[in-house]
Amino acid sequence: MDFKGIHDRLRALSAPGLIGADEPRRPDPADKKDKGRYGVAFVRVEAARIVEFLTLCRDDERLAFDLLVDLTATDPAADDENLWVGYQLLSTTQHQRLAIKVTLPKAEPAIESAAAVHRAAQWHERECAEMFGITFLNHPDPRNILLPDDWVGHPLRKDYVFPKEYRGISCE
Amino acid sequence: MSEATTQQHGNITLREERVLPSGEREFMLDVRTSDLEVNMGPQHPATHGVMRILIRTDGELVTGAQPHLGYLHRCAEKIGENVEWLQYLPYTDRYDYLAAMNNNLGYSMAVEALMPMEIPRRAEMIRVICAELNRIGSHLIMFGTYGMDLGAFTPFLYAFREREWMMALFEKICGARLTYSYIRIGGVFNDAPPGWLQEVEHFCDVFEEKHKEYVDLLMLNHIFVKRTAHVGVIRPDLGLDFGLTGPMLRASGIDFDLRRDMPYSVYGEMAAEGAFRVVTGRGEKGTLGDCWDRFYVRVMEMIESIKIVRWCLANIEDGPVIGDVPKVLKVPPGEAYVGIENPRGELGHYVVSDGGKVAKRCRVRGPSFCNLAVLEAIMPGTLLADSIAIIGSTDVVIGETDR
Repeated sequence: MDFKGIHDRLRALSAPGLIGADEPRRPDPADKKDKGRYGVAFVRVEAARIVEFLTLCRDDERLAFDLLVDLTATDPAADDENLWVGYQLLSTTQHQRLAIKVTLPKAEPAIESAAAVHRAAQWHERECAEMFGITFLNHPDPRNILLPDDWVGHPLRKDYVFPKEYRGISCE
Repeated sequence: MSEATTQQHGNITLREERVLPSGEREFMLDVRTSDLEVNMGPQHPATHGVMRILIRTDGELVTGAQPHLGYLHRCAEKIGENVEWLQYLPYTDRYDYLAAMNNNLGYSMAVEALMPMEIPRRAEMIRVICAELNRIGSHLIMFGTYGMDLGAFTPFLYAFREREWMMALFEKICGARLTYSYIRIGGVFNDAPPGWLQEVEHFCDVFEEKHKEYVDLLMLNHIFVKRTAHVGVIRPDLGLDFGLTGPMLRASGIDFDLRRDMPYSVYGEMAAEGAFRVVTGRGEKGTLGDCWDRFYVRVMEMIESIKIVRWCLANIEDGPVIGDVPKVLKVPPGEAYVGIENPRGELGHYVVSDGGKVAKRCRVRGPSFCNLAVLEAIMPGTLLADSIAIIGSTDVVIGETDR
């Protein structure tokens, strides 16, 4: 199925937490300031119901998204109030992809761990947690994965301040 | 299955597991003593890079394995948010340094997904030729080093003989042997030099002959089969659960290849013509999804890559090799995730642009990262001596897990 077919199927199943679709579009010629939106379409989902949503996507026979390819976060701008969490699903039987986006408030970013649905999420979430400071609730192994355990700050946040030293080693 | 018998030698118990058709008896070892944690790495030769695996053992039995990463973390994603779109390209060479052409291709395609532009057909052909030659080179490394992990040194030298030629071909087309930065946003950097395509064809002819040596020398070698069959089995559902991709997933019997099933570039045309086939594990020498199957898939994929290269050589036409790309590239606002079939699995790039000269987010989904995670699940219950065979069969490149 193409993106429209997948979105229709999700709506027909009244998928839990589905907010809507965001599709690429050309710039509006009447509006000079509008630059359009390019790239790949995705669906927006409520943060609180993401695990139910992923379970439906995996178990429905026509969606059949059996592989969680990627899970990552994005800090769109230093003055933005939200962080994005993106999920990339792939179906090895139906040969289709689905991108999912969830927004979390920067003040207290927390979301249920997807590791119970796809164990692939486990390591990706550990990386997201250390890089963006997102708390993944009920995560089976919430340790740092790439950074040392005592690293201060979340390096992929746009307001991250580079450290001057680490354990007496100068970083300048 | 015969009646189980046991033999006792001190505190070692040998339990007969089965009798093979040849009449040979296979024993299961039971040599439990007490818990011991063994640190494998960070500088162990079999980790193929700088990785530490904390192995918990009980006698000869592995009861737990925990990979520790981050020794090679070079902040590729943070760098991506601080340099211009075109300047980031050389950094892509450095995550999976054995398949730099494929990395260049993945990143270029992700940026192109945000830009309404046409890629010249000759560029697409040269891209695919380079990506497939690089896949052969990458699988040759796996072929050689896996044999070396298991104590066979000679195949390594055979593999490097052909790999050397492949690298010489790349040196002729772009000047570099390992970090190419040849595939650019919009096409490729430069046209192939005169005679290069003919030499690639010659390479294909020679390689097909040499490939038979690999099969006889290592893949069907009795000792090698004994070391790898039935070892480190990944069931298909476990593979999907852990998000495995590429040869790791296909070895578990899942018939899925992005090049055929979700084609990009010119792969769609050749898949429609049936120019290549997708190799999957069949449990021929042991259990479906064991180390031998993973090795088999990679070795046989090299021949399929040769077929793809031949198709491109037959269909390549003259023409420009790069589209109209400005010197200072401003990428229109939007976001895209593009995944391509790398030698190790799906390499994904998630790029976000706000219309400026620098990316807002440049996420890299490295296949090695996900393929490594499965170790935690398949290592417990195996023998310590098999752990090297299992780690080697995942074929991870640490530059990519840590990025």
